[in-house]
Amino acid sequence: MTAGPHRSPGADLDRTVGRLLTIGTNAAVLLLAIGCVLLFAYRLDPLAGGPPLEPGLIIDDITHLQPAGFIWLGLLVLLATPVMRVVVSLRGFIIRGERTMSIVAALILVVIALSIVLGHAES
Amino acid sequence: MLVGLWLITGGAAAGLFGSLLGLGGGVLIVPLLTLVFNLPLLTAVGVSLVCVIVTSGASAGVFLERHVANLRLGMTLELFTATGALLGGLVAFLLPEKALEILFSGLLIYTSITMLRRGRAAGGPEEETVVDEEEPGEDQFFDASLSGPTYRVKRVPAGALGSVGAGVVSALLGIGGGIVKVPVMHLVMGVPLRVATATSNLMMGITASAGAIVYLSRGLIDPFVTAPTALGVFVGASIGSRVAHRIDVRILRALFVAILLYTAFQMLLRAFS
Repeated sequence: MTAGPHRSPGADLDRTVGRLLTIGTNAAVLLLAIGCVLLFAYRLDPLAGGPPLEPGLIIDDITHLQPAGFIWLGLLVLLATPVMRVVVSLRGFIIRGERTMSIVAALILVVIALSIVLGHAES
Repeated sequence: MLVGLWLITGGAAAGLFGSLLGLGGGVLIVPLLTLVFNLPLLTAVGVSLVCVIVTSGASAGVFLERHVANLRLGMTLELFTATGALLGGLVAFLLPEKALEILFSGLLIYTSITMLRRGRAAGGPEEETVVDEEEPGEDQFFDASLSGPTYRVKRVPAGALGSVGAGVVSALLGIGGGIVKVPVMHLVMGVPLRVATATSNLMMGITASAGAIVYLSRGLIDPFVTAPTALGVFVGASIGSRVAHRIDVRILRALFVAILLYTAFQMLLRAFS
């Protein structure tokens, strides 16, 4: 039998990936919280509809303390966190020489890439 | 501002209930946004998928660091849930909203029945270790590599098939899909319930991301509705995980089933109105 997920090298990878998830989620929630405070400060109605995602405007919105900038950055960090978890796992599997798990991780990234391409293609 | 505070409160209630009863908040967030805030169903599903990622990220990190979640098993199955979520995300836009509402009502009724069964089973001893007398199958790699120290994973192809279904349901209806994945892992693949629940939580992040990316591409993630709701879910789920061991969930479960059945009824009314 090969090593299960609870043995030492796998445990290190679990810890690294776990920390990444916690840090990424907390950072995203912090950005969303700042966005909410600004949303309330400007007395904007959430149900009136927010602006669509325009990546080029995010930094500009943040420097001008606009809620949309913080919220979109928070949402992008949030969406990227599980994807980064797969990237870090892929790196870990490659370093450990786990070929099959490396292929699995790479295929998950392919599916995510397809979501981006097909989502845009159909819209 | 008042609407924003209500969104935070509603999200917090969904996150709290979800974490106390071992569910993602999605099953409550979609009805909350459609029936209370009158948002279109697809917008509610987009918001809910983001909330599912928050719930997963907040708890899966802890489950991994404590070695409760099985990373290799989770990643193998999430290849299939993510594929299902991609398909579900694309199909959702082809179905009429009424069909999705009827499907969601069915999900609520199914969840109610599952909760009632879980309530009856809660009186018995908790199964921690699955003793498997079967010989390993042909797929030696998956049998060995995905198993834990006290259990052996079996029937990986059947688990993969169930995972595709969980992914489709997740992206169609804005839920984490744990209601499908946990029984598949526990009953079909022989994974102990505690590991199955934690691993399902880990998988929800990628599954919901694959679906959410499709919704984001279609402009169906409203940032101003999503931010307060997701913030509420994070707060509610954090409180829930801290107080869960102090609360008798039997009354809570009965209340939850009543809410779900009432919501299913309201959703059906909306579908047929």
